Amino acid sequence: MTGRYRAVSKYAVAIIVVVIIIVAIIAAVYMMPKEEAATPTTTSPTTTPTTPPKAIELTGDFEKDVVEVGKALEANGISEVKYSVWGAGDPNSVMRVYGIVEVAERINKIWEENGVNVRITITDKKYDADFKAQYEEYLSKQPLGQAGDFFVNSYVFISVLAKEGYILDITDYANKYSSLLEDFYSTLLDAMKYKGRMYGLPQDTEARPLYIRKDVAGCTGLDLSNLDEKVKNGEFTWSDVYNWAKQAKDKGCAEWGLVHRKGSAHPDLVQFIYAFGGELYDPDEDKVVIDKEAIYKWLYVEWKFARDGLLPEDIMAWDWAKQIHPTIVSGNTLFDIGGTWYWTEWQTKEYYTDPETNETRGLKPEEVKEWFYYTLFPAGESGKQPVTLSQPFAWMINSKAGQQNPKYDDLKELYHELAFLVIVKASDPDINAIHSIISSHLPVRKAAANLLKNSTWLDKLKNLEIDLCDEVKNAIKDIVEATVHSINAEFLANVGYMLEYTKFAPSHPVYPKVAEFFAEAVDKVLRGEMDPEQAVNYIIDKVNADPEIKAEVKIVGEIPSGWSFP
Amino acid sequence: MLYKLNNFFHKLYRFEALFFLIPALIIVFLFFILPVILSVYISFTPLKNWNIGKYLGEIVGFNNYYRFFYMIQHDPGTRSVFLTTIVFIAVTLTINVLGGLFLALATFFVYEKASAFIRTLWLLPRMAPIAVYSLVWYYFFHASRIGTLNSILLSIGLIDKPIDIGQKIIPWGPWSIIIFVNGLVGVSFGMIVFTSAINNIPKELVIAARVDGATNWQISRRILIPLMKWHILYVTTWQLLSLLTTYAHIFLLVKWNLVHRDYGTTWSLYIYNAAFTGTFDQGLAAAAGVILVVIGGVLGWITLKILGFDRMITRPRGDI
Amino acid sequence: MSLKDVEVRGRKIEAVLLLAIILASTPLIIGFSLLTLSSFSKHMVTNFDPNSFKFTLINWVRFLEGRMAITGGVRISVINIILNTLIVALGVAFVTTLIGTLAGYAISRMNFRYRKQLLLLLLLLHAFPGSVLIVGVYLIYIVTMPSNPEFIRYYSLFYVVIARAALEVPMAIWLMKGFFDLVPWEIEWAAIVDGASRIKVWWKVMLPLVKPGIAAIMLFGFLAGWQDLIYVRTFLQERTLATFIEANLEAEYSHMPLLAAVATFYLLPTIVFFVTSQKLLLKVTLAGVKR
Repeated sequence: MTGRYRAVSKYAVAIIVVVIIIVAIIAAVYMMPKEEAATPTTTSPTTTPTTPPKAIELTGDFEKDVVEVGKALEANGISEVKYSVWGAGDPNSVMRVYGIVEVAERINKIWEENGVNVRITITDKKYDADFKAQYEEYLSKQPLGQAGDFFVNSYVFISVLAKEGYILDITDYANKYSSLLEDFYSTLLDAMKYKGRMYGLPQDTEARPLYIRKDVAGCTGLDLSNLDEKVKNGEFTWSDVYNWAKQAKDKGCAEWGLVHRKGSAHPDLVQFIYAFGGELYDPDEDKVVIDKEAIYKWLYVEWKFARDGLLPEDIMAWDWAKQIHPTIVSGNTLFDIGGTWYWTEWQTKEYYTDPETNETRGLKPEEVKEWFYYTLFPAGESGKQPVTLSQPFAWMINSKAGQQNPKYDDLKELYHELAFLVIVKASDPDINAIHSIISSHLPVRKAAANLLKNSTWLDKLKNLEIDLCDEVKNAIKDIVEATVHSINAEFLANVGYMLEYTKFAPSHPVYPKVAEFFAEAVDKVLRGEMDPEQAVNYIIDKVNADPEIKAEVKIVGEIPSGWSFP
Repeated sequence: MLYKLNNFFHKLYRFEALFFLIPALIIVFLFFILPVILSVYISFTPLKNWNIGKYLGEIVGFNNYYRFFYMIQHDPGTRSVFLTTIVFIAVTLTINVLGGLFLALATFFVYEKASAFIRTLWLLPRMAPIAVYSLVWYYFFHASRIGTLNSILLSIGLIDKPIDIGQKIIPWGPWSIIIFVNGLVGVSFGMIVFTSAINNIPKELVIAARVDGATNWQISRRILIPLMKWHILYVTTWQLLSLLTTYAHIFLLVKWNLVHRDYGTTWSLYIYNAAFTGTFDQGLAAAAGVILVVIGGVLGWITLKILGFDRMITRPRGDI
Repeated sequence: MSLKDVEVRGRKIEAVLLLAIILASTPLIIGFSLLTLSSFSKHMVTNFDPNSFKFTLINWVRFLEGRMAITGGVRISVINIILNTLIVALGVAFVTTLIGTLAGYAISRMNFRYRKQLLLLLLLLHAFPGSVLIVGVYLIYIVTMPSNPEFIRYYSLFYVVIARAALEVPMAIWLMKGFFDLVPWEIEWAAIVDGASRIKVWWKVMLPLVKPGIAAIMLFGFLAGWQDLIYVRTFLQERTLATFIEANLEAEYSHMPLLAAVATFYLLPTIVFFVTSQKLLLKVTLAGVKR
């Protein structure tokens, strides 16, 4: 009998002890002081003996501002600032992440030279191929405090992120740096805004030209001299594209007349809407616009190309690496709606099967130049304008930037100001120029564009004799080797003019959903499951089916009757 | 004083079981019961983008339910999700039960070493990492010439152009793919249960029948299957519940656009996608989810009653 | 077990059956083999075109170097990713086993109020849709997230492990209960009469007797954690092999054979466990499914 009592007491003790331990652990985790133990300050601040500054006033002089921030941080007992950066995109665009790494080193150097005993450390560099997926991850992880401090992604997400307060409003900081802002191309700055406030600085942009195979054109009899001018004037329209594509196919010069991009992640086929004079966004009402006439004409063009065998019916399901690019690179199509970054992608990826050696390899810059002609996206019909589409990427700052650091609640303002200064430095002309040439994106500011025209600078870059920290140099070494070439720089300079004609897809919270409807509609008309009119109505039905989308969309125009193409 | 304490703990003695059970009870409460309650709450709020500070305090009544039903009525995509769920469950269930039965019986009649290998092979879909499993089928069913299935059919001349099963052959294309992918995973469950059931059948019955000249089919039909009735019922009902709730194995196939989104998404996946991808509309997801929980709960309760589990639970083996 | 002793039918029927089974198994075999083959090839081998297979080890080299692309890309720590996957798997194995053996013992041996209801509840949990549960689990996650940034990483790891383990717990409890039920009461009774407390009996006497059960649960738990995709993508701050594959497919620029190498590596532990514990897996799953 006594044995049982002994067992009972043992149990009781065991339970109590376990409960106490659990409670203690929970208490420790939650009541842990957020600041570290006081770090011994090496230099005693000679300025105000009272409270150290929690924020500084930005002046627009970068070096002065960054030193001020550094001194303020030091006065608050901070010796290290940790930031993490999230970027996404193709493998050649790693400067989206390494740019920040380089900036950290540059700022650290400035601080060292000015006797400021603080360092920036980049703790995590996350780089994913799928930028949309990374955006979704950011959206989930930001409220948890698990997202990167810097978020380098498409401008298209600014509206949602700004609305939810997940990225920093940098308007007031940016206004102090008006000379920097003036050097950016102004349309890009507009893309960084939501409801008039600015949420990022432009990181890069591109254009989406129409590529034409010179050899196939020659076979078909298409004269390419001055074609880009004709497109600019609106003389060469999509009707002409159709006619030449048909001839190419009929004469057996190529298997396809036209190939384009796919998927709803890049709904840049909406260039057609703009090319037919339509609109996608109403800024006054802040609504996405469904322009029935322009969309009808766009879908009609797609439908006609597919029905006549000029455009693959199932192109929306084609594989990039095994079908789309090889088709273009081996001259199996006359026209291709592509992106400026294809120019170097064809050089670094192995899409081409050399008919002599039968090995697959990337193209040489000379081959790309020899085989490809490029123009703006032609006007839809006469009387309309040519266009191109850009999807600029932005340097964005997490509204919780600096969260990894001690005394965050207290020094939030300082951490945010420092983060802003980081992206200001990331906009340095050389960083932007390096990114542009190795990834074949377009520069976002005039100073960077000028650097690209400087052949001495290019040669230095090719030999990696430029001022970059070792980590970044090692990371981009092989890309530089493969892509830095005067032909590529020439290409970038030549397409610069397209930015004057460029359009942006709307940065509105429901636009991504609507873009998906567009992609579905295109797929259906291509496969012949619907005719253009049915497809337009399909889009409208999908929009109306969700009351929340319906409320944010404005439907205008009518499906034109008796319109023919070409 | 000590006596009073001891008395108290003496009463606790009856609850010594608690010590062993507390971890399980906490886990079950925190990860099953509480989340359901919270989901019900969320369904009454306009929560989106996981911005709980902004939206969680707001109550919008039945608005999410209203939106959900509105979309069912007006959006053919949402309607398709329903249809897909029903067809998916019905067909996959049949395949799982019959397939499991076939494998169990077939391996019983085949020599031992081969059957062990086969059973192990068929466990692979269930055990393999989900991302790898999805990648395998992504390339198998790929819509172009590079897809394995397409290239096989092309080479034997059955088709002359590659076919896009997942996106073009609506609705049976995507349906076949998701049924196939999940079927391979589910068959192993039935296979295991039935194998164990067969092993419990006295060998004398089978040997006697054999001696009398019975064929494999006769033995299966007359002896084995009738003795497995409960097991067949168990596998059917259990798999029904599994199929109602599964979503991980088709998540990537839909995300990677291998299958048409509306006809490749089941109700369960729809909920996950609404909450964690795309529109990040947690309120809507919760509303759709609560309805599914109710259905699942009712079906589950019926299952327990049919299988007679409560009757099978005997008193514990040894208590003082 | 087999009918060899009384076999009156010819080998023919057996061969036909075997053929039928193999035919049914073909997609499985083809799919997985092609994946592994592609990891050693310059291009993805997805059809039977012998030209598409060009042997190279570069995919594996790049994978181990931590580079996601043949040219360019950011260097990532592959070791970290693999380690994270391993930690999750081990964590889930440990938690599931612990809770399963504890609760399974109590249910098997002790009569307490609501015992029957608890058992039925555990069965009923199977009907709760995981995708609804995860919404609520995520809300709890946000609300309980520590504000101290030092702890966020560890908390996310901790949470993902117990959240994932929770899904395996009901089955684990039933399985262990089945194993404990098989142990004769007399052994335990002897130990208790000698004055040992219940805990001691559990630890010293019972657990050694149910080793196969424990091994099975640890194995299942490990594989469940290793294979998981949904929970790690939703909760874990770090990357695992699963989310790594997910994030790098079907973007315009991924190099597919690289991904095939990652996937083949990811598959290895599953295969290894399979081959070494074939007997255990089958024996145990059979035993566990008791009435």
